[in-house]
Amino acid sequence: MIDPMTFLAILAMAGVTYLTRIGGYVMLKNRALSRRATAVMEAAPGCVLISVIAPDFVSRNPADLAALAITLLAATRLSMLPTVVIGVASAGLSRWLIG
Amino acid sequence: MSVSEIAVAEGQATNMRGAELRRGLAASVPVLLGIIPYALVLGAQAAQKGLGLLEVPLMTGLNFAGGSEFAAIQLWSSPPHILLIAGITLLVNSRHFLMGAALAPFIKQLPKRRVFPALFLMCDESWAVGLADAQRRAAAGTRPAFSLPFYLGAALPFYLAWVAFTTCGAALGPVLGDVEKYGFAMAFPAVFLVLLRGMWKGFAAARPWLVSLAAAALTYLLVPGAWYVAVGALSGLVAAWFLADET
Repeated sequence: MIDPMTFLAILAMAGVTYLTRIGGYVMLKNRALSRRATAVMEAAPGCVLISVIAPDFVSRNPADLAALAITLLAATRLSMLPTVVIGVASAGLSRWLIG
Repeated sequence: MSVSEIAVAEGQATNMRGAELRRGLAASVPVLLGIIPYALVLGAQAAQKGLGLLEVPLMTGLNFAGGSEFAAIQLWSSPPHILLIAGITLLVNSRHFLMGAALAPFIKQLPKRRVFPALFLMCDESWAVGLADAQRRAAAGTRPAFSLPFYLGAALPFYLAWVAFTTCGAALGPVLGDVEKYGFAMAFPAVFLVLLRGMWKGFAAARPWLVSLAAAALTYLLVPGAWYVAVGALSGLVAAWFLADET
C-alpha cells in the first residue's frame, strides 16, 4: 500500500521541513541576519512558487493562456476559494470553446 | 501556602490554560475555512500522481507544510526523485528560518521539551496568529507574552484539518476521473498566484520573482526535465542578493 520510494521521499520532506522549523529558533535566536541574507530569505518563497508555475506562462495552448490571464486577474482581487473556482471554470470553459 | 491553597492555585492555572486553549481555537476558525479548499485540491492532485490513501496523510501529517507539498506533488514522478523533492522542500520552506527567528525572543524562556514539539506545528497561519498575539500581550504588559496554550489551540485545528481534508481530497479525486480535462490543472496556478498576492510587498520587492519567472520559463522551454524550478528559484535568489542594495 505504501511504496518504499514514496515513503523515503516523504521522510526526506518531513526531515527537511522540521529542520527549517527549528533552525531559525536554534541558530538565530541570539543572532541577526545580514540585510542581504534577509532580502534573499524574504524573496525565496515567492521565487520558488513562481518558478513552479512558470511553464503555465509559456503554454502553447491559447485556451490555457487565456484562462491563466483570467486567473491572474482574479488572484489580484479575490480570496483563495473564488480564485480557484474561477481558474478551474475558465480553464474548462476556454478549452471547450477554443479547444 | 497550605495544601488547599496549593490545590486552588493549581485549579486556577488549569482553568487559565483551558481558557487560553479555547481562545486559540476561536482564533483559528476563520483561517481554517480558507485552507480546506487547498487541502482538497492537494489531495486530489496527489491521488492523480499515484499517491495512495495512506501515503497522502503520511505526507501531509509528517511534513505539514502546504506550499512545499504543492510544489513536491507538481514535480512528483514514479519513482519520485528524492533529492529534487527534498531540495524543493528546503527552498519553499526556507521562510520557516525567518519565522522561527522572529518567534525566538518570545519562546526562548520556555523549556526545550515544549518548544521543539510546538515548532513542529508552526505553519504560516499558526505562526502569524501566535506572533501577533504575543506582540499584543507584550505591548499590554501581560506576562508571559507568548501563550503556549493559545498557540496550541490555534495550531492543532490546522494540523487536524490539513491531514483530514487532504485525505478527503485524495479519496474524492479518483471519483472525478482525469481532473485535467475539467480544467482542474488551473487550480495550482490559482492557489500559487493567491499565495504570491499574499506575499506581495510592492513591485520593487517582487523583482526577484520576475527574474525567477523568466529564468524558469526559458529553462522549461530549452531544457528537458524539472530543472526549470531549481534554475528559476536560484536566479531569483541571486537577483534578491544584488537588488538588496537598492531597497
